[in-house]
Amino acid sequence: MKPAEVSTPSDREVLIKRSFDAPVNLVWQAYTDPALMRRWLTAMPGWTMPICEMATHVGGKYRWRWRFDENGMEFGFTGEMLEVELNSKIVHTQIFDPGDMGGSMGGEPSIITVTFKESNGITNVSTLIKYASQADRDAAMSTGMTDGMEMSYKQLDGVLAS
Amino acid sequence: MNRLDQAFAALADPTRRGIVVHLARGEASVSDLVGLFSLTQPTISSHLKVLESAGLISRTRVAQSRPCKLETKQLKVVTDWLEKVQEIWEGNYKRLDALLAELKQAQKEERKK
Repeated sequence: MKPAEVSTPSDREVLIKRSFDAPVNLVWQAYTDPALMRRWLTAMPGWTMPICEMATHVGGKYRWRWRFDENGMEFGFTGEMLEVELNSKIVHTQIFDPGDMGGSMGGEPSIITVTFKESNGITNVSTLIKYASQADRDAAMSTGMTDGMEMSYKQLDGVLAS
Repeated sequence: MNRLDQAFAALADPTRRGIVVHLARGEASVSDLVGLFSLTQPTISSHLKVLESAGLISRTRVAQSRPCKLETKQLKVVTDWLEKVQEIWEGNYKRLDALLAELKQAQKEERKK
């Protein structure tokens, strides 16, 4: 499958697109079943996902938290489901919980819209992250997200090298 | 607003992205750009001001036409950030590929029974 495409449709948004070689019902499962989510959202050596609480009904709350076992650092995301359409769309709020990584992403939640569309057995997933303000996006770029990314990034390097 | 934020804000506009893409091929004057984008000169000039204050382009002082030049260093800061985002997501997605292959296989086995 072609690598993910990242773009910035506006100064408050980041859009990530990717296709998967699987029918939409399986992709949906991988996105909504905590046991499956844990397997792809944190399969990096050293990282675990001690908390992976998912909700798939409108108004339901979710909690995801990652831990880097080597130094015990944790960070996570929490939020609420705004829209859930089976096999087609999930819209949820997202607040960054910096744990002890430091940094913040602003107090206002971001809105994440994930859409799933199957054609000929290929499922296209698009993820739109909309920050509450430019300042929040800025904070996300300069702190938690990039630090968190840097850590996952280093982990990823390890995975790729092995 | 910091520089990175300004750069992203500047690039959020499709015309300004178009100007950046054009300047990636080489310098251009305001009148070149006016002709290219079929917009008025004040409109192009105001777009150029935004790009300039974000550090994405510079204007030479030498010629009357003050050609615009792309500042690749500042653009690189933006593309680096996007690349980083891309790598993180792609890392997850590659694992998701593997998981989906497994789920597909399991579904097949299930149907055989």
